Amino acid sequence: MSAPNTDILPGAYKEGFHDDIKPLHVVPKGATHEVIDYMCDVKKEPDWMRQFRHRSLDLFFKQDLPAWLPGLRDIDYNAITYYASPVEKSARKWEDVPEDIRKTYDKLGIAKEEQKLLGGLGAQIDSEMAYHNIQESLAKKGVVFLSCDDGIKEFPELFKEHFSKSIPPEDNKFAALNSAFWSGGSFVYIPKGVKCDVPLSVYFRINAEQFGQFERTLIIVDDDAFCHYVEGCSAPVYTTHSVHAAVVEIFVKNRARCRYTTIQNWSTDVYNLVTKRSMIDSKGVMEWVDGNLGSKRTVKYPSCYMIGEGAHGEVLSLASADKGMWQDAGAKMVFLADNCTGRINSKSISGHGGRSSYRGLVQVNPQAKNCRVQVNCDALILDDKSRSDTYPVMEIDGDLSTVEHEASVSNVSEEQLFYLTSRGIKKEDAVSMIVNGFIEPIVKELPMEFAVEINRLINLQMEGSVG
Amino acid sequence: MNAPAWLEKQRDVARQTFDRLPLPTRRDVDWQRFDIRKLKLDKVAEPALTEKLSASPGNGVIFCDMATAIAKHSDIVKEYLGKGISPDEPNKFNALHVSRLNTGAFLYVPRDVKLTVPLEILYTLTGASGFPHTLVVIEPGAEATLVQKFTGGPTGDMSIHASGTEVFVKEGGHLHYISYQNFNPNVYDFTLKRAHVARDAEIDWVIGMFGASFQRYDIECVMEGEGGNSFMYGVGFAEHNQQFGQFTKQHHKVGNTTSDLLFKNVLRDSAVTNYSGTIKVEKNANGTNAYQSNKNLVLSDKVKCDTKPILEIESNQLRCTHGATVGRLEEQHLYYLRARGLPEEQAREVLLEAFLDPVLARIQVEDVYKEFSSLIHQKVIRK
Repeated sequence: MSAPNTDILPGAYKEGFHDDIKPLHVVPKGATHEVIDYMCDVKKEPDWMRQFRHRSLDLFFKQDLPAWLPGLRDIDYNAITYYASPVEKSARKWEDVPEDIRKTYDKLGIAKEEQKLLGGLGAQIDSEMAYHNIQESLAKKGVVFLSCDDGIKEFPELFKEHFSKSIPPEDNKFAALNSAFWSGGSFVYIPKGVKCDVPLSVYFRINAEQFGQFERTLIIVDDDAFCHYVEGCSAPVYTTHSVHAAVVEIFVKNRARCRYTTIQNWSTDVYNLVTKRSMIDSKGVMEWVDGNLGSKRTVKYPSCYMIGEGAHGEVLSLASADKGMWQDAGAKMVFLADNCTGRINSKSISGHGGRSSYRGLVQVNPQAKNCRVQVNCDALILDDKSRSDTYPVMEIDGDLSTVEHEASVSNVSEEQLFYLTSRGIKKEDAVSMIVNGFIEPIVKELPMEFAVEINRLINLQMEGSVG
Repeated sequence: MNAPAWLEKQRDVARQTFDRLPLPTRRDVDWQRFDIRKLKLDKVAEPALTEKLSASPGNGVIFCDMATAIAKHSDIVKEYLGKGISPDEPNKFNALHVSRLNTGAFLYVPRDVKLTVPLEILYTLTGASGFPHTLVVIEPGAEATLVQKFTGGPTGDMSIHASGTEVFVKEGGHLHYISYQNFNPNVYDFTLKRAHVARDAEIDWVIGMFGASFQRYDIECVMEGEGGNSFMYGVGFAEHNQQFGQFTKQHHKVGNTTSDLLFKNVLRDSAVTNYSGTIKVEKNANGTNAYQSNKNLVLSDKVKCDTKPILEIESNQLRCTHGATVGRLEEQHLYYLRARGLPEEQAREVLLEAFLDPVLARIQVEDVYKEFSSLIHQKVIRK
């Protein structure tokens, strides 16, 4: 194992440590059918899932990367370990989690928050969920919060009815890769009418080197229910690359509401290639709050498919690209029913040679009448080594919808700086204030602890940006 | 007439480029909405196109058809032709037109000559194909107004028109450029227009897109000197089964340059429009101001309207914004006009013309303004 490469982001990335955790199961490197068979045996999965995995791997080999997505051809899929499990099964009590893993999570400060703030907590390390627990009161109401592997065993019918129905392996190369090797992730079911007011939270950690983490999350929010799901992630800093290719499927039923918050803070050697999609039924509301602060390359466009009349989709996206990062984030809104509305609000910051790209799709299909969608993207560039792109696509069939898109790119303006510095504020603090003001509309939507964390991370990235 | 060796070489390069490139299909990102499978490029008919130029104003200005320019002004033409639009650009239709290059027009305005009378070129497609090339050189401190009109096309059979307009506006020069096409149906029009804008130079464009069953316009400005300006305005009115592709590029190679763009389209019946606009700001092009706006008004539920406003920014001292909208006539506005006694039909007409007016208002040549207005009016009141 190579030594942690600490000079990528000196001092800033405090999650960059790695621990020596002995895996119970580990497979040879490379994407092969043998690995799938091994995983299925270990997990004791039903036959249909084994077939599904094998079919997905074939699709992965067959599919090409889309022409509009540059810079991913140098991933060596054979240098990656596709399954490594340090635990036998996910524990329901924190004390039952193996000690070395507990230590890692203690360093990250995950568990201590649970009792105070969260309705449920999950913790995944490498391929498997080490811990998954939910408050008694929520469990009594019928709320299900399990690792996806337990979901398939305990709720086989509900699982099979929804699994891969919004993101089939045919969808894209990375969805196929995930479908072949998925492991871990959450299975959430909120019964009809249940409002789950406290967030359910999951923390994903890659510890192994040259590893592929493929968690799979399936969330079903039944009629009139509500759920807030929060995920965070981090990894050690190595000199080699890891791949994180997750698939998240969300089904928002009639009049239900789901909010999904991500704070992605991978180290700068992780390729973060995630497919996230929600199917929103009549009058349902889906809100993606997507914060991307780390990774080498992020490719992630949380999507809202409006399939029921009057559905509403919303994506709030925040990307901060620092040295060595390319945040290729954005959103998709697909309108398939009448009277639906959508909103995309994207803010990005590029500094120290980082690149951030907004890529978005708004698609109004012929059968959808009277839809409205508004897109705003603002980008801030901090220095002339950095880059910012905006690639929005709007495809509108028919006349009865209104689509608006606005974007701007600018630097921290001299006027604003002058105003603050003339009031005695140091230039560096002034820049920091302006940047924090710029991202405020999105940060204020985050849970308090995350908002504080984002501000800390942004300030760290800002250090030394005033020349 | 035998072409000079340098020109024959360019045609050769273009011919090879044409042979090398495949015909775009729906699999290509920029062609997804278009179906040009009917085009048969392996046996393109002999070009049949006439050019009619207004009188040259003298004063050292050269304004003549391309054949004359090649014969008489070979030294100047040679210096610029193919330098703005290269014969080996990966664009099949540009390669097609350069490989057949021999019709078109040449405008050369010498240093500090300011022309007040607009110069006009009328291209008429008389047969199944036409490949005109327009070369414009505005020397330092000079100023001119150029109006290009494309029309014609045989009724019945399908015909292809591929053209290029290559513009150089040098230090402190100024070109007012108006171009519009009103081809007959059945014409497939592929056009590339590119202007190189030098220090303190300026170009203002007004592009009108009215006819042809298919058109693909690529309109680009390359900002090469500080203080350069480019103001790009476009208006399109697509109806029946017309398909319009509009690809614009504002390329800022150096800083302290400004570009502004407004493209407005009206879509009716089963029309298809695909606007794709890129603002590219290169490294160290600090002090760039670039704006881009695409607004579409749709009048039928069978139209397809795509818009892709793209930003690629590599400098930080700049201001860039873009906006795109797709919408219908506002009921409120209709209500306002009807409440003042206008019949509904007429109220709609007024609103449509008002929607396009911000582009028309940029036309500084009165006759041309009237022609645009009447073309639009005829489409609006279509009986």
